[in-house]
Amino acid sequence: MTDPKQPNLTEPEAIERAKQGDESAFEVLYHLHKRRVYSLCLRMVSNPTQAEDLTQEAFMQLFRKVGTFRGESAFSTWLHRMTVNVVLMHLRKKGLPLVSLDETIESDEETQRKDLGGDDLRLTGSLDRLQLQRAIDRLPPGYKTVFVLHDVEGFEHNEIANLVGCSIGNSKSQLHKARLKLRDYLKSMRAEKAKNG
Amino acid sequence: MKCNEVQRVLPEMLEGGQNGEFLAHVEACPACGELVSDLKTISVAAAGLAESAEPAPRVWVNIAAQLRSEGLIREPESQPAGPVLVPDRRRWSAWWLAPVAAALVVAGSYVINHRPLPQVANQPPANQPPALTVPVSKEAPDASVQAKNQQPATNRKPPSTAASSGDEQAFSAPTETVSLDDQQFLDQVSGRSATMKATYESHLRSVNSYIRDAEAYLKRNPADEDARRHLMEAYEQKAMLYQMALDHVQ
Amino acid sequence: MVEEGLFMESMLRTVIVGLVVASCLAVAAADTRKEYRFPVGPRANVSVDTEYGSITVKPGNPGQVVVVAVLKSDKAEVDSSQKGNRIAIESRPLQGADQQTARVDFELTVPPDAAVNLRSSSGPLSAEGLHGDLTFEGATAPVDVRHVSGGHVHVKTMSGTVTLTDIHGGHIEITSISGEVHLTSVTGPLVQVNSGSGKISYDGDFGSGGDYLFTTHTGDIDALVPAATSADFSAHSVLGKVHDDLPLKPREHGRMSWAAGSSFVGTVGKAASKVVLRSLSGRIRLKQR
Repeated sequence: MTDPKQPNLTEPEAIERAKQGDESAFEVLYHLHKRRVYSLCLRMVSNPTQAEDLTQEAFMQLFRKVGTFRGESAFSTWLHRMTVNVVLMHLRKKGLPLVSLDETIESDEETQRKDLGGDDLRLTGSLDRLQLQRAIDRLPPGYKTVFVLHDVEGFEHNEIANLVGCSIGNSKSQLHKARLKLRDYLKSMRAEKAKNG
Repeated sequence: MKCNEVQRVLPEMLEGGQNGEFLAHVEACPACGELVSDLKTISVAAAGLAESAEPAPRVWVNIAAQLRSEGLIREPESQPAGPVLVPDRRRWSAWWLAPVAAALVVAGSYVINHRPLPQVANQPPANQPPALTVPVSKEAPDASVQAKNQQPATNRKPPSTAASSGDEQAFSAPTETVSLDDQQFLDQVSGRSATMKATYESHLRSVNSYIRDAEAYLKRNPADEDARRHLMEAYEQKAMLYQMALDHVQ
Repeated sequence: MVEEGLFMESMLRTVIVGLVVASCLAVAAADTRKEYRFPVGPRANVSVDTEYGSITVKPGNPGQVVVVAVLKSDKAEVDSSQKGNRIAIESRPLQGADQQTARVDFELTVPPDAAVNLRSSSGPLSAEGLHGDLTFEGATAPVDVRHVSGGHVHVKTMSGTVTLTDIHGGHIEITSISGEVHLTSVTGPLVQVNSGSGKISYDGDFGSGGDYLFTTHTGDIDALVPAATSADFSAHSVLGKVHDDLPLKPREHGRMSWAAGSSFVGTVGKAASKVVLRSLSGRIRLKQR
C-alpha cells in the first residue's frame, strides 16, 4: 500500500529515480515495502524496537546497492532476501541458534503420546491472529526462524537451507516441529481461556 | 498405514506429497485427521501475518537522514527557498556537513506532518526594503541572556543601538516569527514540558532571524562566499536545534 | 561558676555540632548514591545522558570505568548497559518528577583514552585530563573542558556557556545559539566556533598551522594574542565594527575587501595559522596582549 502523500511513481520509475539520488523515489520504495520488511523483522525478533532498527538497516543496505539492481529478479524478492540476511546476521551476533542441530524427528512413540492426547480442543476455523502471534513468539529461536521464513514469508526449504546454513531435511524437520509446538501452545491457550470462562 | 507411520510421512505430505494410504488413514482416523487439519490451519493462518505490522514514522526519518549523510540523496535543481550552498571541503569535518544540516531541518518537519521541504524562514513582504534586521538584543550575556532566552521572543526589547554611529541603514524592529512547521514542531516538544517549549521557541526565533538576515545578505551579495557561509552556519544552528529537540521527543 | 560556664559552653558546642552532623546526614539520606564499575579495553566509548543533573569526568585507571550516580529522590531511575567497549548510562525521570526531584548527578572516572559523550539539559558538564574524543550536548548546560590533548572536542549548546582551557591537538567544533564561548590556550588543526548571539572570546596564540573559523550572527568576537603569534588574519563584520592593534602586514594574495561592512586582513609572523573572524552584526576585536 503506497502512502497517499507520495508522488505517483511506479516501482520501476522509483527505482530508476532512486539511482539518481531522488529522495522522493527512496520514500516511495520505502512505503511500498515497509510493512513486509518490518513484519518479517518483528516475527523473527519479537521486539518492536529491534525490529525497527533492523528495518532501517535492511532498507539502508538496499538503498546503498540500488545502483546495482538490474531487474533480473523482482525488486521485492531482492529486498526480502536482504532483510532476511540482515535479521539472520543480527541473530548470529546475538549468539542465538538459527536452527536446532537436531536433525532427527522425534521418536514415533513420543510424537504419538504428545499428539493423540485427550484434548478435545480442535483448531477449527480461523485462528485468533493475536494468539498465533503470541504462540510464534514463544517458539524456540531455531524453530521460529524456519517457521517464519517458510509459513509466514513463503521461502522454500532450499532457500531456507541456503540462508541459514542447514540441510533441506533439517529445514523440513524444524518446520514440522515448529508447527507441532504451535499446535500445543494454541491448544493450551484455548484450554486456559475455556477454563477461565 | 498406522498412526505412527502417518506421523513419519506427515511433513512430506504437508509439503504436497501424494500417498493414497496416507489420505485413506487420515480420513478414517479422527486423531490423525485432526492433527493434519490443525497443522494446515496453522500454516494458512501464518501466511496471513506477512504484512500485519507497520514501523513507526521515525524509521523513515532515520533512513532519510542516513541517506543524506552518506550522500545517496542528491537535491534536485528545482529545490525552493535558498541558494545552492557550496561547503568549503577543507573546513567541514564529517560531523557537520551542510546537507545534514538541511536534512535535519527537513526531518524535523517530516516528523510532524510528512510534508516535503518546508520554508525554513519566512520571506519578507515584497514592499519591505532589503535592509538587514538586528533581531536579537545585544545586551549583557550570561545569566541575563539565559533568563531572556527562557522567555518568548515577544518580550524582548528591540535593539537599542545601530551597529555603528555612522551606519545609515535603517533597522526594522525584530520581526522574527515562527513558521507553521516550527510551531507544530514546538507543539510536539511542549508535550515534554512548557519550560522546554519556551526555551526552544526563543532559540528558534533567534536562528530564524539569523537565517533571514543571512538570506538577505546573500541576496544582496550573491557572489560573496562569506554570505553563503553565514547562511550555512544559520542552517546548521537550526538543524542542531531540531536534532536536540528530536532527541528529547523520541 | 566558671567551671559551670565552661561546661555549658562545651555542651552547647556539642549540641550544635551534633545538630549540624544530623542535618548533613539527613540531607545525605535523601540522596541515593549508586556506583557502577565497568571493565573496558583501550579506547572505550562512554555515553551519559541525564535530563537534569551535572556530569563530571576525570581520568582514572586504564581498564575500568567507574560511574557514581547521585539521585536526588526516588523520582528518577538510572539505567546502564555495556556492550563490549561501549558503555551507556542514562537517567530517566519517573512519573510525577520535576526538575529538582528528577535530578541525577554523575561523576565518572574513565581511562584517559576513552571517548566520552555527555548530554544534559541543565548540566553543568565538565571534563578534564583526557585525550579521547569528547562530545557535549546541552540546552542550558554550562560546559567546561580542560587539559585535553589529541582528542576531538565537539560541543552543541543553546544557551550554556562553553569554556575550553588548554586544549590541543584535535578538531574543535562548537555550535552555540546564544551561549558565550571562551577559549583559553586552545589550538588544533581545526577550531571552528559557530555562535548566534553568544560572544566568542579567544586568548591564545592560534598555534602553528591550524585553521580557526569564528562566526557569529550578532555576538562579538574578541581575540587576545601574544606578540609572537604567527597567523594570517581575516576579519569582516557586515554591520558591526572591527578593530585590531596588531602590526598586521598586508597579504600578498587573496581578497582584500568586501562589498560592505568593516574589515581587516593581514599577517603576523610567518602566517602559520589561518584565522577567519566573521560576524553579521557583531563587533570584532583583535588585540595584542
